[in-house]
Amino acid sequence: MRRAGAAAAAAGGRCRRWKKVLYRAQPFPDNYVDGSFLEELRKNIYVRQYRYWSVVLESSVVIQQLSSVCVFVVIWWYMDQTRLSPQQLFASGLIVYLLGYLLFDIIDLGEGRMHSGRTRWADLKSTVVFVTFTYGFSPVLKTLTESISTDTIYAMSVFMLLGHLIFFDYGANAAIVSSTLSLNMAIFASVCLASRLPSSLHAFATVTLAIQIFALWPMFQKKLKARAPGCYLTVTVVNTLAAVLGLLTASPTAAVLYALLLLTITFLCPHYLVTLQSSKDNIHGPWDEAEIKEDLSRFLG
Amino acid sequence: MVIKVFFPSCCPEAESGLLLGRWIPEQNAAVVLAIIHYPFIPGQVKQYLEQIQSVTTVNVSVLGSWSSHSSRTKDNIDQFLQDLSSIFPHDFWFQLTQEKESRSVFKCHVVQQCDSKNDKENVILIHYDQRKVMLSKLHDVDSKSIECNHNTGEEAEAITSDFAAIFDTVAKCELLFMIDKYDETPIKFTHWQSAGRETSIIVELAKQASVPVCMVLLFLVTFVLNICKSRVLNIWPLHILWSRLTTCVQLAHRLDHLQTIASSTKAQNHTEFMRKANLFVSFLIDVGLGMLLISWLYQQNRIGQLADALIPAADHIAKELEILLEWLMGAPAGLKMNKALDEVLGHFFLYHIHLWISYIHLMSPFIEMILWYVGLSACLGLTVALSIGSDIIALLTFHIYCFYVYGARIYCLKIYGLSSLWRLFRGKKWNVLRQRVDSCSYDLDQLFIGTLLFTVLLFLLPTTALYYLVFTLLRLVVVVIQGFIHLLVDLINSLPLYALGLRLCRPYVLAAGVKFHVFQKVAGKPLHLLMQINPLTYGMIIKRYRLPTYGCYPKDSWAALCKKLFIGRLIYPWKRRNEKQD
Repeated sequence: MRRAGAAAAAAGGRCRRWKKVLYRAQPFPDNYVDGSFLEELRKNIYVRQYRYWSVVLESSVVIQQLSSVCVFVVIWWYMDQTRLSPQQLFASGLIVYLLGYLLFDIIDLGEGRMHSGRTRWADLKSTVVFVTFTYGFSPVLKTLTESISTDTIYAMSVFMLLGHLIFFDYGANAAIVSSTLSLNMAIFASVCLASRLPSSLHAFATVTLAIQIFALWPMFQKKLKARAPGCYLTVTVVNTLAAVLGLLTASPTAAVLYALLLLTITFLCPHYLVTLQSSKDNIHGPWDEAEIKEDLSRFLG
Repeated sequence: MVIKVFFPSCCPEAESGLLLGRWIPEQNAAVVLAIIHYPFIPGQVKQYLEQIQSVTTVNVSVLGSWSSHSSRTKDNIDQFLQDLSSIFPHDFWFQLTQEKESRSVFKCHVVQQCDSKNDKENVILIHYDQRKVMLSKLHDVDSKSIECNHNTGEEAEAITSDFAAIFDTVAKCELLFMIDKYDETPIKFTHWQSAGRETSIIVELAKQASVPVCMVLLFLVTFVLNICKSRVLNIWPLHILWSRLTTCVQLAHRLDHLQTIASSTKAQNHTEFMRKANLFVSFLIDVGLGMLLISWLYQQNRIGQLADALIPAADHIAKELEILLEWLMGAPAGLKMNKALDEVLGHFFLYHIHLWISYIHLMSPFIEMILWYVGLSACLGLTVALSIGSDIIALLTFHIYCFYVYGARIYCLKIYGLSSLWRLFRGKKWNVLRQRVDSCSYDLDQLFIGTLLFTVLLFLLPTTALYYLVFTLLRLVVVVIQGFIHLLVDLINSLPLYALGLRLCRPYVLAAGVKFHVFQKVAGKPLHLLMQINPLTYGMIIKRYRLPTYGCYPKDSWAALCKKLFIGRLIYPWKRRNEKQD
């Protein structure tokens, strides 16, 4: 086409340069392009360069959450096998909770509390509301699923916990993230599982444990990661080891599979991510949609 | 130009004379109403015509001349007729001549006064039965106008039909037909009643007696209505009771009818008259059927048997309900119910049944006496008896209604709670201002309690739904039975029996239109047609003259009804026409 265009220009005797407009009558056909075709094309300008070990370190968020779920299930299983009594669980949970509460404030030296404006009195009220409500509802929760078969309950719990893991807020800015939904699914799963236990005190202990693991622990971990990453890493490793050991006592196969899963997520997936960056082929150009990057409120009113 | 001449079918036997009638220029039609015989004095004829015109507002005039076969005098008839046409000036002067061979074939010669073109015009002679046309009422059979008449509530008297003018003319000239041959008048007429006025003694007596009877009836009815509308009987709880009992509604309806019948103003137009007559006949037949029912009921102590059967029937219903509840408290149809909730609901309803049965047993000694007196009220009409039957059914199944309301309320609350908590589960909220679902960031405690409640409600749903389903089905059965009785009552109330009887006995009174038969077709003579009245069909009569009732028709369409059942709203499937919207 270039040759045809050049030939036409030479033959026509008019050495006008081709301009990329349609409102002028030019001696070229409408679909003619000259040598400046696609010179504004850019490739892969927003591609990030990942470093392997940073990605491995960041994947600890996912590992953390997986281990929490695992720990919860293991503790429930212990209670189901009556190896653990609800009073022991409640007592240990209470101690851990108080410890975490103190640490939460110490870590950022009280800034977070000043930011959110939440008083200790409000915290106390929330705690009392939780505990009384759960205690009052535990007999109802116990008899809730009596007539439903165990397999259905297990299937529902697995489904709900999977959903919890999928919708959890790992810090990514994606549309699928919904922290409300993930928390609700986890609580639903805990209620399903709690209704299978022998007495209403067991149910009460399970639900309280679920709140601590799924609602309070992630908040604590987020703050820890922001302030003291080294400490955070240690806590993650301890959590993972606890999960694997707990699974080991339950069933060795499960422990092996779980360890494999963890290794895959920690080492294999980041490697895959880094190597796949080289086959990225994004094209950008002036034809892209405009993005408003500035805050326009300074132009208004 | 075709000219139509309407000729009464009684007149071909008449003597020669002048044609008296009305010329309708828009339709080129001449309606002959009577024949004035010779001898006459033109001045008297003109005076008489003016009198008739002023009373009936019909433009009656002399249209032409009629020469019959029997009394023909050949000599100087043409000159005589010429003189006549100058005495009574008219645009068209018709000269009808009867033939010797056949009495019903005449020659017609038209003389045009205004412009003496005298070209050959086509004349059609239409024979019509004067009495039938005078008594009949032409109805507009256009279905659209009937519907809009029903909606607006007024009957359009201006019917757009060609023959309406002709029917109107004949009907308005009733005064003309009052003079018969026995009256002493200087002018001799021939029309359908000239042989003698027909009347009936019974009708005259009824007309005389109706005035005082109506006054007494009106007084009684107004008195009763005033008592009913008094404030004592209308305080709030009683008011609800009166509006719910079908008997009271039906009695009020009938009192309304009686007031219409006994009103002292005469019916202004045909529609009002038909309405009054329909109401009267329907009321009479209703009372007659009621009397029949009474005579059947009070023979052989049937009332006693009925009363004896009533208590065991109520007991039987209660026992069946108890068995049903025991079944629900177990594992009905293999469904998994929540034991605790099941027990609670089941015992709650069982206690209600126990209360109800005790109440019925308390009333049992008085049942027979109550039934005896209540049965007497059937003399007010069969509809009242049926309404009382429907009310007795409602009272006997009152506990089913209560159970339905309880079940529906619990279910409705549950569904409402579940839908709201489901939105919380997904992290969304109902925006009342925008009427849509928005995302919302909840607090931790709201989330937690909301999820717990959601779980509890979700797992208790099958139990509640089952109770709701069972009681709704029972309630629907009772509603269907009651609806059937109401339908019957409505049918008796709204059927226009007088109009149907009229259609049966005197079909020409309610006319839908006319039809023509070719009477005689002889070459060279005008076409003779016989006009006959086409009566309305029974379907049209019922559609047109249906009495307005407080009618019962379904309030919701099927889709809306199913939706309401699914959500748990209370359903009242039959709506009365003048009830306020709830």
